[in-house]
Amino acid sequence: MSASRLPGADARPVVAFSFEGRRVEARQGDTVAMALWADGQQALRASSRDGAPRGVLCNMGICYECLVVVDGDTVRGCMQVVRQGMDVRRGGKP
Amino acid sequence: MSGERIVDADVGVLGAGPGGMAAAKALAAAGLRVVVLDEGHRAGGQIFRQLPPGAPHESIAEPPSHAHGHALIDGFAASKLELRSGASVWDAKPGRLWFEQDGASWLLRCKHLVLAPGAYDRCIPFPGWTLPGVLTAGALQVMVRGFGVVPGKRALVVGSGPLLLPTVTALASAGVKVVAALEATSRWRALRALPGVLGNGARLREALWYGRQLFAAGVKLQWGWTVFGVEGDGRVQRATIGKVDADGRPRRDTARTIEVDVVGAGFGLVPSIEAGLLLGCASRLLPARGGHCLVVDAEQRTSVAGVYAVGEACGIGGAEVAMAEGELAAAAIVRQERGAPIAGEVARKAVRERKAADAMLRAFAPLPGLHQRAQPDTIVCRCVDVTRARAKEAAVLHGGSHRAIKVGCRAGMGPCQARICGPSLQALACGRPDLPMDLPVAQTPLKAVRSETILNAPEG
Amino acid sequence: MAETADLIVVGGGIVGCAVVQHCAELLPKGARIVLLDRGAVAGATSGSCMGHLMVTPDDAQEYAFSATSVKLWAELEEREGGFDYNATGALYLADDPADIELFAVLQKQFADHGDRAEILDQKQLRELEPGLAHDLPGALFYRGDGVVLPMMACGAMLRQAKKHNPNVDVRPHTPVTGMLRQGDRIVGVQTAVGAIHADNVVNCCGVWAPELAEMAGQPRLPIVPRAGNLAITGHHVTPIKTQLLEISYIRFAHGAAKVDPTRTDDPGGHAMNMQPQSNGGCLIGSTRQFRGMDRTLNKALLHRSLLRAQRYAPGLAHAPIVRTWVGLRPYSLDKHPLIGPWPPLRGLWIAAGHEGLGITLSPITGRLLAEQITGRPTTIDATPYLPARFLR
Repeated sequence: MSASRLPGADARPVVAFSFEGRRVEARQGDTVAMALWADGQQALRASSRDGAPRGVLCNMGICYECLVVVDGDTVRGCMQVVRQGMDVRRGGKP
Repeated sequence: MSGERIVDADVGVLGAGPGGMAAAKALAAAGLRVVVLDEGHRAGGQIFRQLPPGAPHESIAEPPSHAHGHALIDGFAASKLELRSGASVWDAKPGRLWFEQDGASWLLRCKHLVLAPGAYDRCIPFPGWTLPGVLTAGALQVMVRGFGVVPGKRALVVGSGPLLLPTVTALASAGVKVVAALEATSRWRALRALPGVLGNGARLREALWYGRQLFAAGVKLQWGWTVFGVEGDGRVQRATIGKVDADGRPRRDTARTIEVDVVGAGFGLVPSIEAGLLLGCASRLLPARGGHCLVVDAEQRTSVAGVYAVGEACGIGGAEVAMAEGELAAAAIVRQERGAPIAGEVARKAVRERKAADAMLRAFAPLPGLHQRAQPDTIVCRCVDVTRARAKEAAVLHGGSHRAIKVGCRAGMGPCQARICGPSLQALACGRPDLPMDLPVAQTPLKAVRSETILNAPEG
Repeated sequence: MAETADLIVVGGGIVGCAVVQHCAELLPKGARIVLLDRGAVAGATSGSCMGHLMVTPDDAQEYAFSATSVKLWAELEEREGGFDYNATGALYLADDPADIELFAVLQKQFADHGDRAEILDQKQLRELEPGLAHDLPGALFYRGDGVVLPMMACGAMLRQAKKHNPNVDVRPHTPVTGMLRQGDRIVGVQTAVGAIHADNVVNCCGVWAPELAEMAGQPRLPIVPRAGNLAITGHHVTPIKTQLLEISYIRFAHGAAKVDPTRTDDPGGHAMNMQPQSNGGCLIGSTRQFRGMDRTLNKALLHRSLLRAQRYAPGLAHAPIVRTWVGLRPYSLDKHPLIGPWPPLRGLWIAAGHEGLGITLSPITGRLLAEQITGRPTTIDATPYLPARFLR
């Protein structure tokens, strides 16, 4: 298992999805935000004024900083559980 | 058709944290039909986060109190009740909660409502806090204990109050080097918490456990220190830390820079009272309990008939308070429905736990001087990208009230609905750290939901 | 010593701010101008409305009135900015075949004033706005309209005013508790924190203008609130870049209302109006209902709003709605705003009653009032808006 996960045997099935067109492997039960964090991706959205990168702040659905576009819908990355084959894009793109 | 998306219950419980679980379990035990709505993925709330089934959990160290949490989660899971996870409640009136779940629009109809929505981290802006890699203390705990993800290699933990300790231990158990753990409150002020800890055996055991954990991890809590700012190219690379005076004002002469790749900031918690306000429940400002709190009587009844509130929504107090108040609210409802009297110990326990929590938390009341860290170009409202300078200009041109600052620069008008910037907006814009946080606006939707969720809302 | 000023403007909404800006430009340098509001500047109607700049071509007078004002908006953007001014143009849409005929009617109205609106066929419409429903038959596109953030525009107007005249004094959270009179003259106002003497006082209180007039012992002004329910989406989701209006809007909004404003059982109505925001959000309206000062949400009307928005821009079905709220438009009983002196009480002026066009018309309103106060010839004919018409 990746060094960005707690050690030990992970019994969960792998769930693969695409982030900005690139394949990312997650585990069942991960949220999009946590799967991407484990994959080294912390910038999930561009600020609507100056395009600065933003990422997870609260990790519990309060702050809306981790907005991503999942299959066309803008959702909170920290609340959206991964599904096999989903298409995930960074939020805040024109 | 949306007609069938209606759930009926005797009692609707909002939130599956310690308060909501305790209430729901007791209500179910009395034979009442209970439906629990929770926005999270699994029961437990933020404090008793559970890993997804099958994820490795061996390395996570847990304090003694979490044994209560596990027992409660097990008891809750074994209870005859319905838990709906991933449910975002967006509209409410007495006896009715409208929620979105898996993209569908639902209505819960019930006779009694128990509000146990918990709390969220209080954020106090500082330079660089919008960089990816700066998270709330709660967010880091969720990452480790809720998802088994390692936040980084070198962490800085800053803030104020008892929640810094579980953040440090969560990071340490995930193998993260905690470079510094900074408690803004001074050591002598923190001594005020001692009677609350010493007078309560469970809290004392908890404190000693954390002491041992920090020692084992080689982390020394530094009192009267905090973060002044964070820097990095697209993500956290460095942090400037230093001492603060007794009111939290940064002492710039003590500043020094450390290399870190993740920062956890937890400056206390703010009660989540939005649903209560929308229902019409009375509230009052209790700064030592985190801000505006729902007002309840000795049996957890709010000012609105049929609506009860427990735990953090009545003021920050922690899991033990929430569990005790949840049981008390359940007992009050059971008495009304079944005629069974409230056991004296249930009522006494709620009072005792709340008293102990108040005694401890008053030592960690928010330090107004911490607002002085934000510079003119520091972003205050992250949703709308409003800097402190813009907020100040708004306060001059539009007025110093919360409403005036909002309309003057649109701070607090983004999707988080001012939950992040609201608690410190007025203090930062007016340069008046003594100003209390404003009462949140009770508006529907409580959380952003799809347009079609509003359109398809079942009536009844 | 009581405080004195040259001009007191009561009401810090968009109209009051425009009056302050234009008076700061036309009054002698150094004149003391005080703006009072009992709440926040832009805290009431101007902080809870849409932000359209809309040229109304109904007749020559209305066209001159609105088109001149929209030009003044462009000037304010050039000189000051900071209020998300966006010359999006407006797309008039229809899905009812009966309404489609209105495209040509409106197009001819613009042409009558030497202006131009284009009728787009289905293909041209899809090229301009690919996010719209593909079955729409076409649209009328008028390039002269735009959108602003009204609350930020209030700040821009006040910044402009202060640049012209540093003596402009903005005092939010200062309620006026009484009007000071001497015989048939107004001589100032009483506030919660003391009296301010001035020879001229302007009532810019919108739906609350009748209340202020009554404080001065005047009969109730013919302005009633007309409520609107609004919704706004989260950022990054707008499917459109142009302001959208259902063409039935022109039969229903502003001066075109056929509802009796004094009835208490107005069921309310709706015509779709959507505005893209600079942050990628989308503001969704608009509904109209006479029901006094009630600001509770009318869920049925809000639903119609969302449903119609979804009809034209299907992608909005999944857009997150962040907030919903109600604002109150100041509807004048003869459908025209009141701009000018109130003859029974010398020194008392009124600028109020713009219903849903207050944002569009605020700059010209400020201009006309400043010109009248300083005895200048007016930019356009101001007679249709003189409040004295209600004294006849």
